[in-house]
Amino acid sequence: MKAALKKEIDGIIKSYDGTHGSLLGILEEIQKRNPHNYLPEKTLAYTAKKTGIPPAKVYGVVTFYSFFSLIPQGKHCISICRGTACHTKGSRKLLDYLRSSFEFEGDTGGDAKLFITTKDRYLTVRTVACFGQCALAPVIEVDGKIYGSVTVEELKKILKKLKGSRQ
Amino acid sequence: MTQKQLRIKINGDTYLMYEGQSVLEACRSAGINIPNLCYLEGVSRRASCGICVVEIEGARTLVRSCVTPIREGIEIFTNTGRVRKARHTNIKLLLANHPRNCLECDKNRQCELQKLSDDLDVRDTSYPKIRKKHYDIDASSPSLTRDHEKCILCARCVEVCSQVQSVDAIEIAERGMEAHVSTFFNKGLDASECVNCGQCLLVCPTGALMAKHETGSVWKAIDEPGRHVVVQAAPAIRAAIGEEFGFEAGMPLTGTLAAALRKMGFDRVFDTQFTADLTIIEEGNELISRIKNKGVLPLITSCSPGWIRFAETFFPKLLPNLSTCKSPQQMFGTLAKTYYAEKMNIDPSKITVVSVMPCTAKKFEARRPEMNSAAEYWRNKGRRLPGGTRDVDSVITTRELADMIRESGIDFARLTGEKFDEPFGISTGAGTIFGATGGVMEAALRTAYAELTGKSLKDLNLKAVRGMGGVREASVDINGLTLKVAVAHGLKNAREVMEQVSKGKSPYHFIEIMTCPGGCIGGGGQPVPATTDVREKRIKAVYSEDESMPLRESHKNPAVIALYDEFLKEPLSGVSHSMLHTEYSRRDLYPGI
Repeated sequence: MKAALKKEIDGIIKSYDGTHGSLLGILEEIQKRNPHNYLPEKTLAYTAKKTGIPPAKVYGVVTFYSFFSLIPQGKHCISICRGTACHTKGSRKLLDYLRSSFEFEGDTGGDAKLFITTKDRYLTVRTVACFGQCALAPVIEVDGKIYGSVTVEELKKILKKLKGSRQ
Repeated sequence: MTQKQLRIKINGDTYLMYEGQSVLEACRSAGINIPNLCYLEGVSRRASCGICVVEIEGARTLVRSCVTPIREGIEIFTNTGRVRKARHTNIKLLLANHPRNCLECDKNRQCELQKLSDDLDVRDTSYPKIRKKHYDIDASSPSLTRDHEKCILCARCVEVCSQVQSVDAIEIAERGMEAHVSTFFNKGLDASECVNCGQCLLVCPTGALMAKHETGSVWKAIDEPGRHVVVQAAPAIRAAIGEEFGFEAGMPLTGTLAAALRKMGFDRVFDTQFTADLTIIEEGNELISRIKNKGVLPLITSCSPGWIRFAETFFPKLLPNLSTCKSPQQMFGTLAKTYYAEKMNIDPSKITVVSVMPCTAKKFEARRPEMNSAAEYWRNKGRRLPGGTRDVDSVITTRELADMIRESGIDFARLTGEKFDEPFGISTGAGTIFGATGGVMEAALRTAYAELTGKSLKDLNLKAVRGMGGVREASVDINGLTLKVAVAHGLKNAREVMEQVSKGKSPYHFIEIMTCPGGCIGGGGQPVPATTDVREKRIKAVYSEDESMPLRESHKNPAVIALYDEFLKEPLSGVSHSMLHTEYSRRDLYPGI
């Protein structure tokens, strides 16, 4: 592990000053600063060592929350809601459109707990069970921003606006 | 401190119970059994299994009794139709994901889930399996196997590993249908913090956690013509083996054990207590030498292989504090294939050494690469033993031994007591108490006192180091030297003591650490259940056995004296060092961070 990364993690952990229950915040920040928006094994082992939290417990936390990723994510991330309300309002069409427009690696089909990334790591698409915003169905989240009542046309516009867009 | 008493009602009868008790604890102390598969007294109340539900007057839903505290006037009903129906449903839900091939399972007839299903008369399992992910059996550890398919996610193992042992090798990972018990990144147990103690499998209600079996290789050796198979039985076996055959816990059955081993077909039936006595001579001298020569102190015992792995993983800087003495099991293996082979004129390559241990970590210890001193000894004499020769060939647990006794058709309860064979069957009471927490310390003090003063302790019973307190300390005055000692059992307590040593604040000369609560008698290879009550009874058996022995100090063991005369020359001699001592290495689980 590079010294610079260790220093960065040290800084994040220190900013929480040993507050009980701060692991989630620490991990969130570490993932955010990772160029591929994920938590590599060594990073987690180092975080465990520095926080004094057993590695298996850190792993338990990371795998519990779908927010955390153990594999590299694309530059941009779109989460599509596959809850009942969004499904009836056409969220499947949004997913189908993304699948037809990009080439994803290791896409075995289906849409439950989907997590697929393009070969060039430009885009990650994942599905979530429900955002809890059913009144705005269908809902998607793009790079942390929520969009409601999304149609395929609107999705096209959103994709165009993404940094480094190729649409 | 007086605890407030509460008046409560259980199934219509009134009881006085203490504030702070859970409904489950209150019912149990009233003699009403509440079935459960996840609660562990004093360790775990995750309330994950849903079997311990009861009805409370005025409550809208059933409650899980393990996590519901009693209150004044509470009315509890443990045996209503609603309760029975819910327990049925919940156990069926657990069974939905559980394999039904009980006959093929090692835990058959000892499985809590199987027994409870039978007790509650659950026959059909009408729910479909919902768990989708499959994980292969983890057989990476030399001591344990993990089978996710059989796991009901009670998390007892997780709690014991964390709360009792502070090892924290495992945790529940992922969630919902994907939840499973996992190490860091789901690595094999052998690549994790796991120290092989097996406390997890003692509490596992199913066959998800099992000890590795070695009975096959033992039978094979016994059946092989021309093979000389010697067996050693650890001190803690005699205090617990009876439980496998219907005896009350706490019945020492030394003679019966020796008779059973002989009937099974072992060529020589020996006693690990012999090398326990030998360990005391070597370790006692090591202690005296470190004090005299200002060596690294405190000296810490090294008999317990789970503890050794714990120290190598978590306290690598303190490895110089560990005694270099091998454990009695390993001293025995080395001597059987060297001194004994020469003395009896037996070809060492024809000798198989089998250990009966209360311990799953002993399986790991016997496989440590450095545990092949006998091969080294013969190589120096120009003789090559077959490749892969180990000092100890097979290690079976108390439970495996019981299986083998049953398989042999031996009626254990009706055996007449016999003696262990000479020379390695001769031992003292000091060797016996190795099986209990504080025992190694007490045995060492008996000998160290005699060594330094030339006379025996007035009272050989050093009660200060006995008991079940997590960390116990004592001082013994020896010729003006106040020897300060401490005893810890259970690795959480060991960690506390080690952190003190780490900070340079340890006031002790000598520390005994045993991996398992209660010491070896509570080891991961012992009969189930191993509750605190059972462990205490086994300890009693160990001390009563000690008091019944004619010799109770290791240095008075005539076979040990002869061994020094004929082979080792003197404690800590060159021969002793190459045969009976070892070294440790740090375990870096996460290199490069």
